[in-house]
Amino acid sequence: MARNRAISQHLSCCHVCYKLAPVESHHCPRCGAGLHPRKPESTQRTLALLITATLLYIPANIFPIMITEQFGNALPSTILGGVILLIDLGSIPIAAVIFIASVMVPVGKLISLYYLCWCAHRQDEFGARSRSVMYRITEFVGKWSMVDVFVVSILVALVSLGGVISIRPGIAAIAFAGVVLVTMVAADSFDPRLLWDREETAEE
Amino acid sequence: MDKIETAFAGMGDSGAHADIAETHIACLSCDTLIDISGLAHGERAKCPVCGDLLTEYRDDGVSRVVAFSVAAVILLAMACAYPFLSFKSAGLESVTTLPGTVIALYDYGMADLAFLVGSFIIAVPLLVLLLLLLLCTPLVTQRRAPWMIPVGRIVFALQHWCMVDVFLIGVIVSLVKIAAMATVVLGISFFAYAGFAICFTMAMASLDRLQFWLLVERLMRDQARG
Ligand SMILES: [Zn+2]
Repeated sequence: MARNRAISQHLSCCHVCYKLAPVESHHCPRCGAGLHPRKPESTQRTLALLITATLLYIPANIFPIMITEQFGNALPSTILGGVILLIDLGSIPIAAVIFIASVMVPVGKLISLYYLCWCAHRQDEFGARSRSVMYRITEFVGKWSMVDVFVVSILVALVSLGGVISIRPGIAAIAFAGVVLVTMVAADSFDPRLLWDREETAEE
Repeated sequence: MDKIETAFAGMGDSGAHADIAETHIACLSCDTLIDISGLAHGERAKCPVCGDLLTEYRDDGVSRVVAFSVAAVILLAMACAYPFLSFKSAGLESVTTLPGTVIALYDYGMADLAFLVGSFIIAVPLLVLLLLLLLCTPLVTQRRAPWMIPVGRIVFALQHWCMVDVFLIGVIVSLVKIAAMATVVLGISFFAYAGFAICFTMAMASLDRLQFWLLVERLMRDQARG
């Protein structure tokens, strides 16, 4: 059964207020935002942002995310180093939270967005529904990888006892915050409707 | 109670554009046209093709948003004013406030990171709440205001950039992380921020994008007519 799509009725949907308007109009009649039937250059923009995020993820893992100074000794720790330290200390649930938020979510997000860009380019007629679900999950989990950056900023503010013990933020914190920021923009610039477009063109 | 309704037939090219635009929306995930006219209180419209939730109609949407937003603004003010956490070790004590977590990053020479963290946990959520109250005032008083459309656009653009709930998880993780190292005491501000996070999340959950824009459009149209 053929679906009734907005684009086949020559309508485009405003991304700000969801108003439908004829495709010829450049601005939304309700809120004035720019109108496009599909997000412009969506796949190219998403890919460019994904490559940026992938490159940023390298310094985020190589450099220390925070440096603990105890009695004059500086102890730098990376994201993965912090997870391993927590496992050694026996805090398995916290290690799991940090591992999921800082490794699994960002890496999973990058992989799924690369895959979705490839699917949108190829416009496969099968599996659009499960890929839509995949996109919605990717979009939803995005901000949760900021947990580690927030942990660092809390510890830095909290643990400062002069010469006894203090925690400094490391350069990886800003690189990792960059990864989160750029992948969120990448997810936002991807247009999930591209995943469905081939199916209809084939039927018409 | 999900209302799933698609109109497949009866929409030829014969100038039905205006009618479709009034009664339907297009699913943002798959572009399917869906009839959303006549949703009753508490009813949701879901896309029958891809399963995306499109809109939920509530009679009390605006008043819920106003109530939770006011509560959230008050709790955030409290969270910024009182001590957040205190840390005791080797007879020494350090106390931190909520803005202190941002200032500490700045003091260590990470102004860019301080800006991001400060925006995500305090500035953007506060801005969203205040603009939301500004947007709701004309809707409650039923008087058209010139700022409704620009304010609405800013609110919905900034909505994604609030990480209040993520920060709360971050606080809990850091507490467990240093619990072995020293004694940590929770301040009033911690509980105020937790309350703020709940109210903020409830306000955002009550804010249905389509329903808000429909209310704005209706108000603008009615007042223009006379
Ligand atoms: Zn619009």
